[in-house]
Amino acid sequence: MKSGVAILTVVAFASVPLWLRDPYLMNALITTGIFIIGAMSLNLLLGFTGQLSLGHIAFFGIGAYVSALTSLGFDVGLPFGLRIVHVPWPPIVGFVLAIVIAGLCGYLVGLLSFRVRGAYFVIVTISFAEVVRLVALNWVELTQGPLALTNIPSITIGLPGLGDLTLRTKLQNYYLVLSVAVVTYLLISRLVHSHFGRAMRGLMENETLAVSVGIDVTKTLTLAAVISAGIAGAAGSLYAHYIRIIDPEVFAFINTVTMVIMVITGGKGSLAGPVVGGMIFGLLPVFLRPIMAPEAQWIAYGGVLIVILFVLPRGIVPSLAQRFAKPRSRAETVAPVAFAERDAKEHA
Amino acid sequence: MSEFLQHLINMLVLGGTYALLGIGLTLIFGIMNVVNFTHGVLYTFGAYIMFIVVQQLGINFFLALPLAVVAGWLLGAAIELTLLRPLRGSDIDTTMLVMIGAWIAMQSGALWIWGGVAKSVATPFPEAPLVLGPVSVSWLRLFVLAAAAMLIVVTYLLINRTKLGCAMRATFQDQDTASLMGVNVDLIYTSTFAIGSSLAAAAGALLGPVYVIFPQMGDLAAVKAFAIVILGGLGNITGAVIGGFILALAEELGAGYVSSGYRDAMGFLIIIAVLIFKPTGLFARSERVG
Amino acid sequence: MKRTFKVVPAIALAIAVIGGVAEAQTIKIGVNEPLTGAFAASGTYVVNGARIAADEINAKGGILGKKLELVIEDNKSNPTEAAAVAEKLITSDKVPVLMGAWGSSLTLAVMPKLMEYETPMVVETSSSGKITTTGNPYIFRISPPSAIEAAAFKGIVDKLELKKVDFLVINNDWGRGTAEDFSKMMKEKGIAVGAVETMDQGAQDMSAQLSKLKGTDSETIIVTTAVDQLTLIFKQASALGLKKRIITTGGSQNPDQIIAQAGAAANGTMHLTTFLPWFPDKTPNPEATNYFISEWKKRGFDFAGCTESFRGYDGIRTVAAAIEKAGKAEPAAIKAALWDIKIKGLNGDIVFRKSGPEGKESGQSQPNVYLIEITDGKIGMKTL
Repeated sequence: MKSGVAILTVVAFASVPLWLRDPYLMNALITTGIFIIGAMSLNLLLGFTGQLSLGHIAFFGIGAYVSALTSLGFDVGLPFGLRIVHVPWPPIVGFVLAIVIAGLCGYLVGLLSFRVRGAYFVIVTISFAEVVRLVALNWVELTQGPLALTNIPSITIGLPGLGDLTLRTKLQNYYLVLSVAVVTYLLISRLVHSHFGRAMRGLMENETLAVSVGIDVTKTLTLAAVISAGIAGAAGSLYAHYIRIIDPEVFAFINTVTMVIMVITGGKGSLAGPVVGGMIFGLLPVFLRPIMAPEAQWIAYGGVLIVILFVLPRGIVPSLAQRFAKPRSRAETVAPVAFAERDAKEHA
Repeated sequence: MSEFLQHLINMLVLGGTYALLGIGLTLIFGIMNVVNFTHGVLYTFGAYIMFIVVQQLGINFFLALPLAVVAGWLLGAAIELTLLRPLRGSDIDTTMLVMIGAWIAMQSGALWIWGGVAKSVATPFPEAPLVLGPVSVSWLRLFVLAAAAMLIVVTYLLINRTKLGCAMRATFQDQDTASLMGVNVDLIYTSTFAIGSSLAAAAGALLGPVYVIFPQMGDLAAVKAFAIVILGGLGNITGAVIGGFILALAEELGAGYVSSGYRDAMGFLIIIAVLIFKPTGLFARSERVG
Repeated sequence: MKRTFKVVPAIALAIAVIGGVAEAQTIKIGVNEPLTGAFAASGTYVVNGARIAADEINAKGGILGKKLELVIEDNKSNPTEAAAVAEKLITSDKVPVLMGAWGSSLTLAVMPKLMEYETPMVVETSSSGKITTTGNPYIFRISPPSAIEAAAFKGIVDKLELKKVDFLVINNDWGRGTAEDFSKMMKEKGIAVGAVETMDQGAQDMSAQLSKLKGTDSETIIVTTAVDQLTLIFKQASALGLKKRIITTGGSQNPDQIIAQAGAAANGTMHLTTFLPWFPDKTPNPEATNYFISEWKKRGFDFAGCTESFRGYDGIRTVAAAIEKAGKAEPAAIKAALWDIKIKGLNGDIVFRKSGPEGKESGQSQPNVYLIEITDGKIGMKTL
């Protein structure tokens, strides 16, 4: 149904480097793309399970640090006289490890979400991100703290038979980020349309009913958190190897805010939402730069955010979709929980 | 031992203002279920009002304080009327994001108007501290503690002894029933947000002269306010007061005896610990909200 | 002072759009500084200092017959932005040389871009040792890293008769770097090092750390942080009855602001600074110092900012001298010329010496360091 639009979009994005020659704008697109991947992962939690996580940057940052440290190597002392020495591994391994370890952290947060919901969950996720930032800042032996991890190598891909390709240029990084973004989109799309996806949405719409129908709350939320965190970790890894310097400021709250803005203005719960929101808010600062004083740019940024939320409170994509919507099977829109129940029974 | 006593004194002074911040936010969070990211900006606003009134207009310090509180009240009401009321009924995240937008815009506005250089406010108190044996405390800070205590009592009386307060508590417990009972929910919401904001502005007005005033000063304060709200339980004023002192104590002792680098982490660690072991807060008597 | 419309880049953009500009009418210098965010105050000071230099040069006819144009961009106190801004300045605005980026992590983020586009940058404030030791030949720094500050302090240390010191530093690379380098130097001199306390960048209450330090057996505390936290530290130390000797380092102290805001609490404190705007005749270049200060005052800026803005002034003059020497506004030529220049900066000769791994050295200049003391609300040179 929407696949035509989706394919067209991907082709359009893929063709950008052919006509866009300005490296500054390419750079902006690449960093925006990385944050869009992060936003898509946040959308999984926010849009499809209804869990408002404001600490999402923690997974992004953890992914960045894991990937950077894996590819740089480290030498750190632990309690009881232990010492861990790690020699540098190829960045691509760092990428995989970033996903794994970030996912693990997502598991911990997911466990927590079983105990608290709503507003409390918001606070706990903010706290988690802050504690991670302070650890990154103070555990200088491992993370270099504020002295920053520098000279992080670019990602190298081993192509069978063709040797190694180091992704150093903008063009290469652009396609890398685009590929990861497309894969992420497809992954989330499959997930959302599977029975697991319906379970998530059932939970979001009416938890008591969902539980009574046999949906395992803990398992669903935890799994969603793990996948979401893992993807964010992947984005963080891309960030580390592109910008090539990581310091604890990566955990700054403003970065979570950026991703949240992308998701909610684009339309949480919609697959294309984070992409649309991301393009707008990732590139807005670029367009504001030449026309306004620096302080005014920020005021405009806040202003645009407020205006979009007032005019299109459900987000851009859902609002647009509503205008062009065809009537769907009424049953499915009205009672996703019932469908989840059917799926649960089928897979029992 | 004297170091410990000094930490205790520091904690008392800090706790009072933290309590003010916490009460303001717990009212807003508890009654309106709004994740209020402008709370820190109101704190900053209160401080800048003191700067304008005392330093630039030359008005007496003690008169300036109520002015700051009133200004905070007005700004809070304005925010509620223009940004929150039209969105009544929307998702909690939409409202939250609008608050974030307002936060960004207002903080940048402060930067634009006053610049990034920190400002200070002259106070009528002597600079030499009051020395009680091995511990010292400045007169200004004692005043801040007293003023904060007074405001806490006033708020407590407002919530528990007035008709408005009764209506607020009713709305907190069950909005629909309260409305059926004749409570003007719109008015309650605006009043709550205004009162909460004025308390934040009061905290800023009191602490601005103690520290220095700059546009981002509210950020850390806001996060600590959230910690206090969690500690004390949503909507629980007594809890917020005690929570404020507990946070101050944890920070002082944590920084003094564990590690100063993690001082500001204390608040967050507390939040996480409390939410793992007692999600409704240490003092909440009512059921879990949210 | 607050402009609402950036005319300069808008014109530059217009020229680029209209022209496909074949011949530039001005010589551009890219300025990459934080104008919003946590470091907005300092970045703004540096930019204003830079503007004074540019205007002075243009009034005297410019360089190589053309006017100097500063292309100023805000890096929002954020490393990602700093890198993006560098990219924009080099590729869109086509500047042949940059100055920036104020904070060490901001500068570190920019460094890979300098390598990529082979464009030199004069670093005017950053203090992290890493900047000049990781092998980036496009970096030329005029501000002292903490190691050089420590070395300069070595001579003074004996005269102060220090026995044991504690450190209270801001928890970033600048503070920690200072603690590390100064500790090393102290130990070599046989001075004991006690506690090393840190405070978070945004922290306003250091009472806990100060209470702890009040109880140690050291007689001196070395403090490294920016002026806002210094004001708070002095006020809080005084309120706690802390009577130890306090020496601040780092060059971002703005003693006038401290006196104005901390009042009597600032008396007795000593500061290691890199500029003496209060005693122009004691600076290595009195004529230039006087000119700079009078211009600064004429423009209505806060005098307290001189201790930071002079770096913007010196930075631009350094770049201009290199362009003049190179004979053309091209990155490679300017880079080569930077090694050959020697100008009288406001706090010492600016001459770049090699620093870092062989074959890819960065340039580091060695500025003077002075010890001043605040007594009765006035700033005086510490007589030793």
